[in-house]
Amino acid sequence: MSRVIFWSTVTFCTAFLALPLLLVWPLAFNTSSFLTYPLEGLTLDWFHQVLTQPTWVNAFLNSLKVAVGAMALALVIGGLAATGVILVPRALQVVLTGLFVSPLIVPSVVVGVAFAYAFGRAGIGGGYFSLVLAHAVLGAPLVFLSVLTSLRGLDPNLDLAGASMGASRSFRFRTVTLPLALPGFAAGALFAFITSFDEVVVALFLADPGSTTLPIALFAGLRDRLQPSIVVVAVLLSLMSLLFLALLRRLQMRVAAPKS
Amino acid sequence: MSSAPARPYGSRAAALLMLMLPVALYLLVFVYPLSSVVTLSVDNSALSGRFDNLSALGPDATPDGEAAALLADLGTMEKKQLGEVARMLNQQRSGFRSLIMSTGKEAEAIAPTMAGLVAFDARWAEPGYWAIIRENAAPITWKHYQRALGITLAEDGSLASGEDLYLRVMGRTLVITLQVTILTLLVGYPLAYAAAHGSAGVSTFVLAVVLLSFWTSILVRTTAWVVLLQTNGLVNTVLVGLGLVAEPVQLIFNRFGALLAMTHVLLPFAILPMLNVMRTIPASQADASRSLGAGPVETFLRVYFPQTLRGVAVGGGTVFILSLGFYVTPALTGGPEDQMLAWFIADFVNKTLNWGMAAALSVLLLAMVAVLVALAGLARWATARRKVEAA
Repeated sequence: MSRVIFWSTVTFCTAFLALPLLLVWPLAFNTSSFLTYPLEGLTLDWFHQVLTQPTWVNAFLNSLKVAVGAMALALVIGGLAATGVILVPRALQVVLTGLFVSPLIVPSVVVGVAFAYAFGRAGIGGGYFSLVLAHAVLGAPLVFLSVLTSLRGLDPNLDLAGASMGASRSFRFRTVTLPLALPGFAAGALFAFITSFDEVVVALFLADPGSTTLPIALFAGLRDRLQPSIVVVAVLLSLMSLLFLALLRRLQMRVAAPKS
Repeated sequence: MSSAPARPYGSRAAALLMLMLPVALYLLVFVYPLSSVVTLSVDNSALSGRFDNLSALGPDATPDGEAAALLADLGTMEKKQLGEVARMLNQQRSGFRSLIMSTGKEAEAIAPTMAGLVAFDARWAEPGYWAIIRENAAPITWKHYQRALGITLAEDGSLASGEDLYLRVMGRTLVITLQVTILTLLVGYPLAYAAAHGSAGVSTFVLAVVLLSFWTSILVRTTAWVVLLQTNGLVNTVLVGLGLVAEPVQLIFNRFGALLAMTHVLLPFAILPMLNVMRTIPASQADASRSLGAGPVETFLRVYFPQTLRGVAVGGGTVFILSLGFYVTPALTGGPEDQMLAWFIADFVNKTLNWGMAAALSVLLLAMVAVLVALAGLARWATARRKVEAA
């Protein structure tokens, strides 16, 4: 009896989690412009429309530009922070880790207000550069945590072995530590990229009409009118996430493989 | 001969060199903007800077002296500045705009005494206007916090309770957050259990669904709910088709839609911490409990559940903190009565350009989050200590 209750609960909860997306994706291929079932027929017209409409294409390109820039900057900030933090005394480590992780806890709306105001006063308000800077700050904690985890997991004896053979500190760092921690950097970069690519709240405060990103365009479209192109964009964004999840899994497999 | 280095990987000097750039960037691009929000919330220089003569007056100024100073200040303002001052004062008391604009235009013609001002416009005899003027001649102001917390300055300068709109918004934010937290825990617990202890196939499947959901952006998942719950959406089609309702019901732009979408969006954040804790609980414990005569319900309640409480606390806490500052999902699926604090902050920035109010509400939201994080830290410290004492 309790088994039946348990499994029906699990089935219901899984359906609640999975069904909304699974049900909505097919609507992007529906011939009818009404976003409901039954499907009238299958078509790729809506995809064609989105991929040829300058608003969506430009928004996509802007998102890509911002995400790549933010990823690169976050990688430098977060990577340096993590490699530096493991070398300092314990008490300082706690304080610095708190500082480096703090953007994760502050609500995005507050971050948005802070950036919009401070960047505006500094004369870099609005546009591509401010978006890259803001998203880099949001992505840096993820790179930091990812690199820190992979550095902490390294065997210190490898470094000592290098030292015993006369390698200098910087040489050991470049040829032993860094290559071993590379998966941590790669995973952190993926996190930072996808965080920026999906981010909407801070972007709403900072973007000007010329630097509208895809999430902003989607948000505006949802507030305006529901139409198939919105579902198409949602499907494309989901595919992007799927791709990143697959990349991340491959990365984790590669890290796990040599050990086994 | 040479001893192994005390710390592998590099020296302290190298560490400081590496840390310089990230620390500087964090301070400049994150800590400084955040602290500027705090200053912004009490900053009144935009107004007080326009009232140089009034600001220079001591506390024992005569009414005539104040009138003269006010007229001198208004007289030096250009038309654009006058309009700005009038707009900002009008935010505190409606009707102030016309009073300032008309007085400012005639500032040179009015006799620089209180009697002259009152003769020009009888409203200057009301102490309420003067209280606001005096308050705004100071460079630091608490007016945004007063408005946010529903406190008003009475005519004689004492504090009284006033319009409590933002207090109610904060209460609503807490209520919605609590509801969402409970819902995510209720739905998430069995899912985490299935992912941790189900057969290989089941756990892989559930975990895949959770991770996919986790990695799909919040906006995309909210989009799915908007599409499903709309008046002519799938849910309504099914309900009408099954004959459960005669005509489509309103499922979105109300509390129901907001709670449903927020629960769905935040669910993975509750599941993953619970899953991590559940994985560490060996199945043999349940067998032991059963072999000692406890039934399945008793085993769950007395052996299994207490051990998962840490995961429930971490998952629930994460959802609570995230939900407290939520903007996108309630903005797209809730109605006007379901908007949370974050929506009002964005509204102040986007619509009325009232940065002071946006900053004050931001500080209050940040304070709520900070208190919660501090409580979580305290709880962790306390459990760690109890473990040490028990050992």
